[in-house]
Amino acid sequence: MKKIDSPQSNPSETDSPLSRRHFISWAGAGTAAIGAGVLLGKTPSALASGVRDRSHVPSHPGVPPGWANAFQPSSTLPEFPVREAPKMGEKIHEFTIELGISVHEIVPGVKIHAFTYNGTYPGPEIRVPEGDWILCHFTNRTPEIHTIHWHGMILPNEMDGIPNGTQWGVGPGQTFNYLFRAQPAGTHFYHCHNMTNLHVQAGMFGALIVEPKEDLVKKVFSYTREYTLLLSEVDTVMVERQMEEMLKMMGTMEKMNDDPKLMKEMNGRMMGWFIDKKAFLKAVEEGYVPPYVSAQRGRSVAPNFNFFLINGKSYPMTEELHIRSGENIRVRLVGAGASPHFMHLHGHDFWHVCQDGTPLQSPVRLNTIPIFPGTTSDIIIQGTNPGMWHFHDHSDLASTNNGVFPGGMMTMLMYDDAEEKGVRVPEIVQVSS
Amino acid sequence: MGSSFANQAQPVPVPEDQSLSPQVNISGVGAATFNVAHSLASGGKTQAGMNFSDSALVVGAAQRLSTLSGIGSMGLGLLTLDDTVSGKASQLFLHQAFVDFQAERFEALIGRSDNPTAHVVDFPTIRGDDLVTLTNPLDPYSNGKNSEENRYSNVTSVTLNQGLQTFENFHAQHLIDSAGIGTEQGINSFGASFEYLGVPGMEPFSRVPSFGFGYEHFTTNSGGKSGLNQIYLGGVVNLNTSVTNRWDLRFQDVVGFGSGLWAFQSVTDSYQADSNSLAASLRYLSSPFGSPGYQLALTAAGKNYFKVDRSRSYGAALTGVKRLGQGFDLVAQYMGQYRDRALAVAQSSGIAYEQTFEVGFVFNFDTTLNLHLSPRRSILNQQHQYVPN
Ligand SMILES: [Cu+2]
Repeated sequence: MKKIDSPQSNPSETDSPLSRRHFISWAGAGTAAIGAGVLLGKTPSALASGVRDRSHVPSHPGVPPGWANAFQPSSTLPEFPVREAPKMGEKIHEFTIELGISVHEIVPGVKIHAFTYNGTYPGPEIRVPEGDWILCHFTNRTPEIHTIHWHGMILPNEMDGIPNGTQWGVGPGQTFNYLFRAQPAGTHFYHCHNMTNLHVQAGMFGALIVEPKEDLVKKVFSYTREYTLLLSEVDTVMVERQMEEMLKMMGTMEKMNDDPKLMKEMNGRMMGWFIDKKAFLKAVEEGYVPPYVSAQRGRSVAPNFNFFLINGKSYPMTEELHIRSGENIRVRLVGAGASPHFMHLHGHDFWHVCQDGTPLQSPVRLNTIPIFPGTTSDIIIQGTNPGMWHFHDHSDLASTNNGVFPGGMMTMLMYDDAEEKGVRVPEIVQVSS
Repeated sequence: MGSSFANQAQPVPVPEDQSLSPQVNISGVGAATFNVAHSLASGGKTQAGMNFSDSALVVGAAQRLSTLSGIGSMGLGLLTLDDTVSGKASQLFLHQAFVDFQAERFEALIGRSDNPTAHVVDFPTIRGDDLVTLTNPLDPYSNGKNSEENRYSNVTSVTLNQGLQTFENFHAQHLIDSAGIGTEQGINSFGASFEYLGVPGMEPFSRVPSFGFGYEHFTTNSGGKSGLNQIYLGGVVNLNTSVTNRWDLRFQDVVGFGSGLWAFQSVTDSYQADSNSLAASLRYLSSPFGSPGYQLALTAAGKNYFKVDRSRSYGAALTGVKRLGQGFDLVAQYMGQYRDRALAVAQSSGIAYEQTFEVGFVFNFDTTLNLHLSPRRSILNQQHQYVPN
């Protein structure tokens, strides 16, 4: 386990930092809580009965042979009862995630301070089989408050990661243990849910892949390689400014919390927090000036994104997708940021096979797929046209680095066998038009 | 017609950098007060007038530099002078005209800028040059007409730092030589100083948020044998730990030695002669909602000369500031200074007591265009890795 609390000695991001300690085979311990700090109630019988019917039904016309996923009105009911503790014989996958502040390089010459889960931007990929348990020890080594929200998971309310909603935010030095069963299957992601706009821009997101017991996509398209592309964007100026502001604010609060006298001084007045509307109005009467009253706020209200990222990197530092003629690859696209992106592949059509984790009623043939914030789309690219092909956000603002084309949310589909197929396209790295 | 061929032959101008225009910073202070001045020694003569000196405008530009991971910047600034500096005319004084390079561990500056000896402690009076002869290390080359000569100079400095928290400054200066003592442009002063600055934003919580000390050598002899010297030290001490009701104390001591002067023939002599100046300021800041509401400060200072008789001086200022809104303050100040006979003759036309009461407005602003560089001394840069953004 790499400690992240002193990023000065850990300037570069570590490879594969996720400590996936071990599988706990949950034998003989009954339903004892395992430090998750939450009592999981008994299963309501209505939910318990909502087990999905996986029997295959005939596919739609024009759909690749074998595709079967007919409309089932009851199928949003979770496969496994939600409010239930792990049982004997069930597998628990234990993860340790520490949040720290480190420096992340987007492209050579552009570095930002970032909030990083285990030192990487984005955080490590979590991948577990459907129905197994995830036990995640999340420790916050920053002065700010954070959580992990498990986006798309059907889990107990207490594990949803909403600060001042489903839990108290995880404060400096605190640990919160998230425990839930991995369901439903498919491509999902996780992210911080405190000041989400800033914290996600600062790097607090990562892929969460729940492998289905039976992979319909694999059965039909028999892919061997797969890629997960987390799409996001960042206003580097905003992140740097607001992280600094936050450090000062939280430093002040920490000092005040340490001292009863200062605590009393603060009395809800310092941070723009008031116990109720009456207290707020009284403060205004006594001279409190709400921040929105100032002639100029001194910082931009809305982010002005200047870098567009695939897995935390901008072109030309994005990772390429590799394929061979005749091969299928699966690409999991995740809308982790705040803007929609329209991923377009040159020289190919592809199959849109899953949306928000779940297989579609029938695959859809596209060459451009919109990825909206909070959504995930899985596509299958078939190796039908050897060469080196652009795969990029067709909203051209996102094909830039700091306003300079080309850059941003762009990568390449590279055929490993392009040359033997007679295609000789040189790999040109272009960072200026 | 016929020009197309010629145009084709023109080289295409390639802009050096098409992507980044520099960050531009415009900051300023408008300080304007209505004054009533009273001099006891001149038979109770009272004068009223307007004072808008020490108003300033500074324009700066800064750019992140790809090589050496640094930041390059420049600044150009003008300051209004006291109406009395040269008779009736109002004047502008160039107080900033510098180019600066900053990297993680050092900073180099060349040009007209803050005199490195003069800003160890800024006392909470309305204007930077209030009680200047008591609260500032003085420019021994100044004829005394322009008090800003004690505060700004032509300087070349290199500042090393450790964690952007401790700073060592090594500098050579050309102090403005209005008295015409030495060469017009040559180096006439050099020295070194140390400064400590606490964690930015956390100043209210440390006992000593900042302090510094330094040594300066002046090449002029002033009747002595090997030039003049100054040793200075100062700092800020928090008297309580509070955010809403803050008490702090500023102090500074300046010792000048090496002069052979036993009497004053001019103002300049009084800036050179061996002396000790001690200044302190007690400040109360009320910030009921975490941002400044009002401030009261009492600044008191005294100076004595080691060799010149009847030359003691005392001064005090009681300053009140009420914040009316974003950077805009209502200010009021009573200031008085007493000089013994010999010093009064040299510095204040023989007037022993000078008193001023003033009331007015001060407006501070600071705006940044094309924002892309964060303050260098940030918590992020200090406690995490340095990023020149
Ligand atoms: Cu967070």
